[in-house]
Amino acid sequence: MAKETSERTFWGRLASWGPYHALMHLATASPRRQFLILAAFPILWILTQHLGPMLQMLRVSLTDAYPVAPGVEQHFTLENYARFFGDSIFWQPFFRTLIFAGVFTFCTLVLTYPVAYFLARHVSRKNQMLFLLLLLIPFWVGEIVRTYAIMILLGNTGAVNLALKTLGLIDRPIPFMYTSFSMGVGIVYLTALYMLLPLYSALEKLPKSMNEAAADLGAGAWTRFRRVSLPLTIEGISSGCTLVFLISTGFYATPVLLGGPSTTVFAETIAGFFHVAGDEWPTGAAFATIMFMAALIITTVFQKLMNSLRKGDKK
Amino acid sequence: MNNRVELFRGNRIFLSCVYWAFVLYVFVPLILMVLMGFKDSKFIGFPIRSWTLDWYTGVFSDAQVLSTFGYSVAIAVLSTLISVVVGTWIAVLLEGRKFVGRGVTFGLTVLPALVPGIISAIAFRIYARYLGIEPGMGAIIWAHAVHNVPFVVLVVMARLSTLPKSQIEAARDLGADPFIAFARITLPYLVPAILGASIFCLLLSFDDFVRSFFLGGYEPTLPVLIFAKLKSGMSPEINAIATVALLLTAVIGVWAERFTRRMNKES
Repeated sequence: MAKETSERTFWGRLASWGPYHALMHLATASPRRQFLILAAFPILWILTQHLGPMLQMLRVSLTDAYPVAPGVEQHFTLENYARFFGDSIFWQPFFRTLIFAGVFTFCTLVLTYPVAYFLARHVSRKNQMLFLLLLLIPFWVGEIVRTYAIMILLGNTGAVNLALKTLGLIDRPIPFMYTSFSMGVGIVYLTALYMLLPLYSALEKLPKSMNEAAADLGAGAWTRFRRVSLPLTIEGISSGCTLVFLISTGFYATPVLLGGPSTTVFAETIAGFFHVAGDEWPTGAAFATIMFMAALIITTVFQKLMNSLRKGDKK
Repeated sequence: MNNRVELFRGNRIFLSCVYWAFVLYVFVPLILMVLMGFKDSKFIGFPIRSWTLDWYTGVFSDAQVLSTFGYSVAIAVLSTLISVVVGTWIAVLLEGRKFVGRGVTFGLTVLPALVPGIISAIAFRIYARYLGIEPGMGAIIWAHAVHNVPFVVLVVMARLSTLPKSQIEAARDLGADPFIAFARITLPYLVPAILGASIFCLLLSFDDFVRSFFLGGYEPTLPVLIFAKLKSGMSPEINAIATVALLLTAVIGVWAERFTRRMNKES
């Protein structure tokens, strides 16, 4: 009876189709074989597509010529790395990028923490999604379009300057554009969401009773924030900051459009090696590797620091 | 209890002001940008004295802009298809299974999402050369697909972790082989997550600049076109193009958000 009904469906017919049955029998002969069949493709993909590009970049960074011209022999060399450490012209954009990324990450944190706090603690469950969705809408819009929006906001004939002029605060427009300020506004604008979401989910998990208990014991608003909310959301802060820092170091179009000659970031330096003839690729690859390593080391140290802070607080 | 309400009221008012100020901060630049697309002058700047729809009619009759739209959408759809299949497969492998090297595998799975934009673009550019992929549509699709896989994996894994194991066991007890159990139990259960992840990938690909810029051939994607136009000077025409792109992404984003929420509630 059961067999009859199952044979009428597509799946029933598939299951009793000879070649499929034989294939399945072969594939599921042992749990080990079954696992290998399931795992082979994902592992292969991850190794060749996720790890491959990074390893190839590292390899190219250690060669003296890439792409290799016919008749030329490729040699392994550390020359490309030496070029970075040997010339202070490259250090400047490098350290500027790291400092900017750090400062912008901190600004994003300070800006979004109260917003996340408000959403998680002062908005009813029913409305939370609505309030959050309202903030998500602008973040669906792409990087270039939002960068352009900031250009219109901050330009010499932009909205901010017009507003200040109308209020009679200034006579001549303030040149916001092509400075580290305009770049900061742009990058914070682009990354705010990546900070907001981890903070929100950390704050949402925090039981309301904790704050109330602290208030009953006489703690003021600032003390409650410093002694209760802040230590208990360190995990969210840590992951939000890591994410925003990594993203900030990788921006290319935004610094090009919003920054000026005095704000050149390392991304522009790296890109320069790929716009010209091919033999600069190894240097570009080496610089990208240096950038990535530096960003990884900084975020790892930061996370370790935050972790020990959390553990220290629990004692 | 009343005392408590009193105590928190001051904070509440202050924080709600911060929230609405933040809403203004994220919306005002975009609203201004949209308004500027209706300005009846070639000169970008405030105030706007007269209005026109000419820039929009211009966009919709510009063959290059329209073909760029099509090109970007095609790239987004094709790269999303790859990401979703690969991402779901990886998620099924990783979720709820213990094996040697699982931690490393997971770390490498999310790697493409963590590599900063410019470095990811450079690495893909070098690897495309190594694999012999010419810059152009294929290269962009490939780079977007690889970059978006981690997002699919995370979304699908989250959904998979809530699937009651008993359902799979019941299917197996009734004689279903692993593949049929997956196709008839697991896959239907994953549909909301897969759809949500697809929309996210579509938007990520459609909005991506840096990878499209470094892996593209002569034909630009929409963000690359806007970037090129911006470098040669601001014009309300760009505002009109950007506004159409903005509306497209915002509408799809909001619709997807509501859709996945409803599907999640139903099951």
